[in-house]
Parts: sequence; structure tokens; C-alpha cells
Amino acid sequence: MRTLSRRHFLAASSAIALFIRSDKPVWAEDKPQAGGTLSVILQPEPVTLSPTNNMAQPTQTVAGNIFDGLVYYDFDLKPQPCLATSWDLARDGKTVTFHLRHGVKWHDGKPFTSADVKWSLENIWKTIHPRNKALFENVSAVETPDDFTVVLKFSKPSLPIFSVLNGVGAPILPRHLYEGTDILGSPYNNKPVGTGAFVFKEWKRGEYVLLERNPDYWDSGKPYLDRILFRIIPDPAARAAAVEKGEIQYAPFNAIPLRDVERFSQLPNVKIDRRGYDWISPLLYLDFNVENQYLKHQRVRQALAHAIDRNAMARIVWFGFGKPAISPVPSAVATFHDSTVPQYAFDPKKAEALLDEAGFKRGADGTRFAITHDYLPYGDDYRRTAEFIKQALHKIGVEVTIRSQDTAAFIKRIYGDRDFDLSLSWNSAFPDPQIGVVRAYWSGWLGTQTPWTNGSGYRNAEVDGLIQAAAVEGNPEARVADFKRFQQIVLTELPTLPLLEMQFFSVHAANLRDIVSQGDQTYSTLKNAWFDGKAKG
Amino acid sequence: MAFPDSLILSADGTGSHPRFALLRRLLRRPSALCGLVLMAAILAMAVLAHPLYPDDPLDMVAAPFLHPGTDAAFPLGSDMLGRDLAAGIFHGARISLLIGVVAALVSLVIGIGIGALSGYYGGRIDAGLMRLTELFQTIPPFLFSLAIVAILQPSIATITGAIGITAWPGLARLVRAEVLKLRHSELVEASISLGASDARIILLHILPNVLAPIVVSASILVASAILSESSLAFLGLGDPNVVSWGGMVGAGREVIRTDWYVATIPGIAILAAVLALNLLGDGLNDALNRKGQRR
Repeated sequence: MRTLSRRHFLAASSAIALFIRSDKPVWAEDKPQAGGTLSVILQPEPVTLSPTNNMAQPTQTVAGNIFDGLVYYDFDLKPQPCLATSWDLARDGKTVTFHLRHGVKWHDGKPFTSADVKWSLENIWKTIHPRNKALFENVSAVETPDDFTVVLKFSKPSLPIFSVLNGVGAPILPRHLYEGTDILGSPYNNKPVGTGAFVFKEWKRGEYVLLERNPDYWDSGKPYLDRILFRIIPDPAARAAAVEKGEIQYAPFNAIPLRDVERFSQLPNVKIDRRGYDWISPLLYLDFNVENQYLKHQRVRQALAHAIDRNAMARIVWFGFGKPAISPVPSAVATFHDSTVPQYAFDPKKAEALLDEAGFKRGADGTRFAITHDYLPYGDDYRRTAEFIKQALHKIGVEVTIRSQDTAAFIKRIYGDRDFDLSLSWNSAFPDPQIGVVRAYWSGWLGTQTPWTNGSGYRNAEVDGLIQAAAVEGNPEARVADFKRFQQIVLTELPTLPLLEMQFFSVHAANLRDIVSQGDQTYSTLKNAWFDGKAKG
Repeated sequence: MAFPDSLILSADGTGSHPRFALLRRLLRRPSALCGLVLMAAILAMAVLAHPLYPDDPLDMVAAPFLHPGTDAAFPLGSDMLGRDLAAGIFHGARISLLIGVVAALVSLVIGIGIGALSGYYGGRIDAGLMRLTELFQTIPPFLFSLAIVAILQPSIATITGAIGITAWPGLARLVRAEVLKLRHSELVEASISLGASDARIILLHILPNVLAPIVVSASILVASAILSESSLAFLGLGDPNVVSWGGMVGAGREVIRTDWYVATIPGIAILAAVLALNLLGDGLNDALNRKGQRR
């Protein structure tokens, strides 16, 4: 029954799509037009809407529209003014002054001031934000000489902060609503109040998140759209049908089946865009739980790495939307990437030899040992990756049981209960390894239950030292050297196996313009987007 | 357990061996014959899965997206990871039948147990057990099993259990009604006066006489369990470590616009199995109903 009705739905939707295509005139204007509701795919449903502690992709996709940052990043990943109109860095790198924009209001009407920035830095960036803790740790004082000036005093320099100052990277929360309350338990995490171009209106669980135009937005004339409706459609084929027939006009983060991309690129009413992911540099990885009785052996981890054909994984499972990764610092983060790290070429024979050496010989039934694998439940691509890995390890005598669950249960299992052996997930590396990479290796995160931090349970004093040294190093060359040493160690000991440098894409309606206007677009605001011609909605 | 009269007695008095009478009556109906043949074919697939496809059906053996009929080695083609669909269909028959039969058995044990106790003892026991049954009946069985599997994590055992413990209320009510009819019959009264224990009366005298409706509902229970497992797997709550038809449909729906056969072929297998069991159930119903026989 289910299958049948879905087929009917697909057939009907393609018929509608054909109809729309055939009678649609072409508008070509370059002056943005106001109005319309933009329907966006949100996949999967977020756990929270506040980017304070849970850095899940859907959370940031929504929050980027509600929260403005001090800056945004252009296509060269250079900071551009947003809530901060200008900033000065002292010669010694230890004093940073931000000059804030005047006349900005929170969505509840209260004025935005330097006190909000100070409070957010001291209570979120420095303490609970998984990417920023190390970067802002050495802020010794925050001074607010007036309502529109913030002065950060560092005990030691922290150069990478200039790569995280956008709305989700260094989220500024309204002090007047949060001060003195339990930040992680605040009701405002699910009905956020920001300063951004769109105001939170409603979150109907399992269905949608609705944002409305902020009429008092400081960037006059913007945003152009009246509303953004983030729709939650769990089924990938239904998402593709909704995009194809124009019901959804914007679908970021690989929201349609990868197999459909080629067909979609031929459609006149939609466009595929690979830009807007420049800031995040996504990486797919496999965490080995180093407390597991088998995976605690370095040779076993290296053997499993040799057993997985990452080229085939990129080609078959990910349809070419990604390339094999050799390091947790993606090659796109070129300054820090080390191409001389130990590599684990696909070599099942070597894998078997390593397992024999480690003392895990094949038993009478051909099995060496059995482990479990929990994959990030973000869609079929991740499940298929888990199936691919299961079969690859089966070939070398390691039996894998795949376990599936929803996102909340996944986070609890991996980062809370630590009841897993293998775990598949993805992380953003961001332009500086200090932001996105080291969180997966620094032992300081262990025991904090913070999602997407050190999943493997890895502890290495030298690695911790390198991470902390690089965080406070004022000399850029010395930082690069620290990170290259870091990569050499973590790719030898291999608590985490980098799998693929992912290539994300967005699909959007052909008449939706300026949907990608900055380098951090997909985690930022849609204030520049507008409908060409007849506005929808 | 004694074989019940209703199952073995030949009603048309042709004098052939009574044990084959039921089969003969079944074979006389084209729809039941169809069901039997289909079911035999599916059973054969389940039995032949290992001899024909000794390797793990989840292995990636072919080029991805091999359409059916393009490569003789893979007559039904391959899916997005290059897994042989024919191997999946054969091995999937085992899993689907296993889940269907075990889940139906779980339902039968609970349903018959509650129905028989409730009908035989009546009074407070009946009232209590029927409230429990109603409680289960207020929750749609599929949503209930969905919730159980989501909480317990999908595996063959949890899926089978979840389907089994949500599908019994209808059967319990049916059995209770049948037992109520027999509770005050001469057969039962006589057994009581001979000093038989309650357990003996229920197991040896009452249940064999209500077996006909139970057999019919069992076939429907198996069919609906297969369908439930497929629906769960379709929604992503199948056991990812084994091939099941529902899981194959679920995996294939993503590519239905470009490669329709990946979801369609296992879909046809599900259709065939459920159809076969329903036809068989109908046939059994007719064959066991002697009034219908004398029409």
C-alpha cells in the first residue's frame, strides 16, 4: 500500500513538473524583488535551534538565519562586516577591538549592545561551544568601554578566532533572556531570539520550522523574502519529488538522492549549486572506540583502515560526491594539510596480516572477532556507507553488526553512554584545524558528553600539547608545523579513520536568485535571496 | 493434541483417506490452488537460497545498477551497491518467512492463551483479560510495533517480537467467542463430571474444536506479519544486517525515478507472498466450513 501510494505520488508530481516547465515564461531581471515564501528542505529534523552546544548541521542551517554574527565570510573566506562594522588587532596579537553596529535590535525589541557580546563570549564561546572553547580559552578580560565597543584581551594570541566569528561560529545570544538561567535548558533554545534577518515564528515538530521577515533588520531593504519555511520531509524520494515540482525551492546538504543529481541537472526548472560549503570543508570519518578490547590495539585499527576501499566508497556509495581523505585536515585547508602522513591503501592481504600479528587469527568459522557499527542517521547515504564497511570488514574476518537509531539516540550512545565500537559521522574542518579538527582528538572533551567532539575516546599527551600549543602560537609558521606533527601522530595511531572529503551540493529553483552569496552561505543567512519574476507563496 | 474432527473428517463421504480430504477440498478451488503453488514456490526459494547463492547476499559482487536481463550472471540485475538482486530475493524469502511465521506464532500463543482463559473462566478473569485486549486494540498495531522497534533498536528479534505482541487482540476475541460457545456444551459438561482438570479440558477438548478458525487466521497473521516487517524496513526500521524484501524496497525507493527495478522486484515478491497466504487463508476457510461445502 505504502509503496503504491508513493509511486502514484511520484507519477503525479512529475506530471505537474512537466506542466510547470512547459508554460513558464522566462524572466530575467537583476534588481532584487521583494516578497514570497521560500520553502527549504531541513534534513534531518534538528534537536535544538540554538547553536550553543549542539553543532548539528540542521541546527546551524536554521540558526544562521536567526542569528547574525560579528562578521560573515566572503568566497575567499575573508571576514566581512556584519554586527561588527570594523575591528582592530593589536601588533602583539593579544588585543582585539570590535566596533559594533549601531541601532541593531533583538527580535524582542531590546537593543543589541556590547554587553551581549561579552556575556556570550564568557558563557558560551569560552565554556560550552564545542569548536570555540580552545580558541577563546586565553581571553583574560573582555572590556566594554561603551555599548558599541568590545575589547578582547588575550593572555596568549589566538589567531584562528578570525575564522569563526559568524552567526553560528561565535553565536551571540540575548543576555537579557539567558543571564542567570540554565543555558542548555533554556526554553529560548527552541524559540530562539536573535538579531538576524529572519524572526523565529513556529516549530511544529516533525513538520516545519517557520521564520518570518524581520521588518526592523539593520540592513535596510533586506531580507527580500517574506518567510522561510523549513520543511522536514524524511523520505529522500519525496524530497526529490517536492523539489522537482517546485513545492520546495531550496534544498541544501545533499537533500535529494545522489543518483538523481544527474537527472536534476538536465531539468530547466532547477539548478545544482556546489558553492556555499567553502567555509565548512566537510569530512566523513569512522571513529574507533579505543576502549574496545580489539580496537584498543593500534594494529587492529590500521588493519581495518587497509580493508576499506575508500576509492570505491567515493565512487559507488557517494556517486563521486567526495574523494578519499588521507588526513582529518582536508586538502582544501591547504595551508595546514600534510600530504606526507601515513596512508592506508586498500590492501586486504596486509589487513589480514596485521590482524594475525595482533593475535586475532581467524576462528574455525572464519571469523576473527565481532564488533558493532553505529552510523549517523542522516540518510540512506550514511546507511549504505555502513553496509559498505560491513562487507569490507567481513572479507577480512571481522563481523560487523550495524545498529540504527535516531539522531538523539545516536548522540547519546556515542558521546554520552560511549556504548559503541565503530561510529560513522561527518564533521566540518573549517578554515583552521583549530576550529573543526582538533575537537575530535583533544582529550579535554572526554566526559563532557558534547556531541561531535572526541568520539573515539583518544588520549595522547603529546597531541593534547600540540593542540594547546597551536591554539596560543602567535607565529603562523610554527602553527603549521604543530599541525603537521599532529597529523603525523593521529594518522599513525589512528583513533579515527578519515574516509572522504565530502562534496556537498544544493538544489534550488531556477528563479531563486542570489541563493549563494557568501563563502559560509549554507550555515548563514538567506537575506540576499530573492525570487525572480512572479513571487511564490 | 488430538487431531480435530473438523479437519480430518471427509464431508462428502467419498471414502478416501480422511487426512487428504482437506487437501483435496483445497485443490478443488482455483484460488486456493494458486495460493498453494505460489507458497510452494516461495518456500522453494527459501530452501534453495543457500545451495544456489552460498555467498552473503549483502556482498557487492556486480557493477552497480545492472538492469535486469543485461547480464546472464545476474538475471535480476544489481542494486546501487552492486548487490545481486536475485540472491537478495532468495535469501530475503528466508527472512520474510521466518519473521512472518515466528511473529504469527507469538501472536497465536498470546491470542489463544488469553482467548481460551477468558472464554473458559469468564467472570473477573474474562473482564480483566478483555480490558487488556481492548487496551491493545485502541493502539493501531503497526504504530505500536513501530514505537517498540524504534525504542528497542531494529533487529530480527525485536522486529519479530514487536509484530507478534501487537497482532494478537483480534485472534484473542475470536478464540474467546468460540470457547464461549463450547463452554456449556455436553462435551465439556461430560468432561467436568468425569473429573478432568481445567487444563485438560481446554487443551484436549475445547481447543481442538476451535482449530478451524485459528488455522485460517494463522495464515492471515503470517501474511500481515510479512507486510508489517516490510513496512518497518521500508521506513528504515529493518535490521540492516540481513536482507529482507521490505529492506530491499526501502533501499530502492531512493532511486525509483532512475532505476525502478531495484524497488519493484522485491515489491513483487512481497505481493506474491501476501497474496499466496491470503488465497490460502480463503481456501482454508471455505474448505473447513462444512456448511459451505454442502452448498
